[in-house]
Amino acid sequence: MRIVRMGELAVSATPGDELTSIGLGSCIGVALVDRARGVAALAHVMLPDATADLDAPAGKYADRAIPALVAAAEELGARRVRLEAVLVGGAQMFDVGVGSALDIGARNAVAVRAALQSARIPVRAEQVGGRRGRTMRVHVDPLHVTVKEAGGREAELWNGSPTARRSAAEVTH
Amino acid sequence: MSSDFTELQLDAMRELANIGSGNAATALASMLGREVELSVPRALALPLADAVDAVGPAEKTVASVVLPIVGDLEALVLLLFPTQDAAALCGLLGVEPGTEVGDSAIGEIGNILGTSYINALASMAGIAIEPRPPHVVTDMLGAIVASLLAGTAGESGVALVLDSELDVADAACSLSFLLLPTTGGIDELLTRLGVGGS
Repeated sequence: MRIVRMGELAVSATPGDELTSIGLGSCIGVALVDRARGVAALAHVMLPDATADLDAPAGKYADRAIPALVAAAEELGARRVRLEAVLVGGAQMFDVGVGSALDIGARNAVAVRAALQSARIPVRAEQVGGRRGRTMRVHVDPLHVTVKEAGGREAELWNGSPTARRSAAEVTH
Repeated sequence: MSSDFTELQLDAMRELANIGSGNAATALASMLGREVELSVPRALALPLADAVDAVGPAEKTVASVVLPIVGDLEALVLLLFPTQDAAALCGLLGVEPGTEVGDSAIGEIGNILGTSYINALASMAGIAIEPRPPHVVTDMLGAIVASLLAGTAGESGVALVLDSELDVADAACSLSFLLLPTTGGIDELLTRLGVGGS
């Protein structure tokens, strides 16, 4: 298991590997996956845009994290056209005015979606917004994403394993 | 903001946390009619992700009370109660934990303790500050701390965390006290303490 902390980014193509972001509040966990190649990348995005902080780690800001995730996934053999995204986080844990004038979680969600759209990467599943913190796990093989809220149970948010798709197709034959 | 603080600056801030939480400990002791012990405070200047880790296990569920501070210093006071300790505290006060009354008791205790902390800070540093109403949230520790740091220190790479711990004698009840200044607030605070201009 690899812990992806605030501002960090990790990528894996190793079966059985797991990329985890613990305690996503207003932060957003952005996973990009290439199911055909079994590649998954995860960034723990903290804020929307990097203009005030150009030396920041690549995963910290939405506008820089998406291109960095794409590059990291491509380095492990992913194809850009096959990339799909799964999003978790962006909660508003505290009322507006606590710690910030604006709702950072919602602004993060807008920025992440915009960056994904300009990279032409579709969002396949998401659990974004609300008031609760979440932990996100991206399991590399079989490829699936699980989410857990404080005091709650781990639940599957998305399953992208090729075997799951194949068996679904077989049923329709 | 500079990312490095001198030992002298960190010492001054530890002293600040010591006096603030000492004042809060006195308030808590008189409220409960029990002795309250105070740990030696820490003053940590860390990269943001490390600061979140330093506060405690990210996935642990805690009850938190946040008091925004406004005036000469912009900061947040954050009180953290492990959920069992919050329940123990409710027990000492004779209210049912996990209920609306219990939450509001925790919020009120946070308010009183946070305000005593802030008052000690104000008189030591010679600044005019006042608390805004408290917010109570029970959730994952990491999500609480990270979301607050995103607002106070997000665009600088480093967070300053002053923390200290209070222990209620003869009861399984302890709580941590954190001061999270905004990026601009730290410089102001250091200047007021006479150790600015790093």
